[in-house]
Amino acid sequence: MTDAPVAPNPTGPTAASDPPTVAVATRRAISEDWAATAFGLLLIALVLAGVITDGLIP
Amino acid sequence: MSGLAPSIPQAGSPTTEVRGVLNGPVGFLASAAIVLGLGGLVRFVDLNLAGWFPDVAWLPSIEFPVYAIVIGLLGGAVLGALGIRERLSAAFRTEFFIKTGLVLLGASINLAVIARAAGPAIVQAIVLISTVFLATWWFAGRLGLDDKLRAVIAAAVSICGVSAAIAAAGAVEAKKEQLAYVASVVIMFALPLIFIQPWLVTQLGLPDAVAGAWIGGNIDTTAAVTAAASIVGDDALAIAAIVKSTQNAMMGIVAVLLTAWFVYRVDRKPGVSVGLGTLWTRFPKFILGFIVASAITTWFINSAADPKAAAAITRVAGSDLRVWFFTLAFVCIGLEFRPAAIRDAGLRPLLVFGAATVLNLVLALALATILFTGFTLK
Repeated sequence: MTDAPVAPNPTGPTAASDPPTVAVATRRAISEDWAATAFGLLLIALVLAGVITDGLIP
Repeated sequence: MSGLAPSIPQAGSPTTEVRGVLNGPVGFLASAAIVLGLGGLVRFVDLNLAGWFPDVAWLPSIEFPVYAIVIGLLGGAVLGALGIRERLSAAFRTEFFIKTGLVLLGASINLAVIARAAGPAIVQAIVLISTVFLATWWFAGRLGLDDKLRAVIAAAVSICGVSAAIAAAGAVEAKKEQLAYVASVVIMFALPLIFIQPWLVTQLGLPDAVAGAWIGGNIDTTAAVTAAASIVGDDALAIAAIVKSTQNAMMGIVAVLLTAWFVYRVDRKPGVSVGLGTLWTRFPKFILGFIVASAITTWFINSAADPKAAAAITRVAGSDLRVWFFTLAFVCIGLEFRPAAIRDAGLRPLLVFGAATVLNLVLALALATILFTGFTLK
């Protein structure tokens, strides 16, 4: 096993294509997008409902 | 958008380390403890440092993003030296923290301001994205870069950094190494701009709205835009968020156009069609959250019997909570920064990125000055 960094060759024609890795990154970006939207709106709802107050935020 | 995408193997990272991310509950909790602990340290330093050194006149002017990024960088350096940064990176979620923070930011911006700023923001986004994208594409071609790498770099530098790079990489079926490489270079350029651009704003004496539009139009990643604009001030942050969100919204259109271009002109795949569903898939949903948050709190303040109490409630969501999420995002920027990316970056793509950044800087300043001079948030 080696810990030597694997230098990328972004312009090289021989770098192996690995679409699943890009696909995984795409899926994660989309799911984080939705998660952040839902979580942010939930926090706002809790503030408006008086559940989260000034004193709860350090 | 942007920020960093921890799932993308960074250029120069040992593959074995990336595979070793501790994704189980223990690994995630340990990682979350690091992020929250450093975030707490940032708040503590931000609240107390100026008091500890009352003779240092400039200390009170240092904003929390500076402390967050510096402490994140130090934390990342320590974890990297111990060889455990990759393994403990499960909760280093810059994208999640920054998008949640932006939804919360919507709660502090009146919907009328968003509506008024939308027009100039859309004009600026269309001119900037099309000019910078095409110029970057052309220059990268002159330097002989691979078509797919050209597309990913051009999208990243003209739209919103890593998020746009991911969208473009998916659209053109780029190699994972190309995506990882561009993600690293985006951060490499964004990090110094977080500090340089607010300094330039001061030197040029720009009004808040122009400063926000300039920062939002120029810096690639949304997290870095937020950090830089937070240093300038709340009004600049509001405009920067609107301008950057508008650019983010254009990502879907660019992804569709890129897909079509590569299917029909570059790869020439017979029988393949490009669906408009991509527009919705690539549309950054947090923008909807940002607008909904603004609409809800605007309605709440306008309809509440006690407007002062209503304003106080929305301040909790739109300011206090938001600062926490931004702090965690900026800490993650520091934690995820890898100096190896600089060492491994090839010269030609760096040259393309540098030239595009200079073009973006100048053009965004001109557009922001033309479109946002005289704009007020009141």
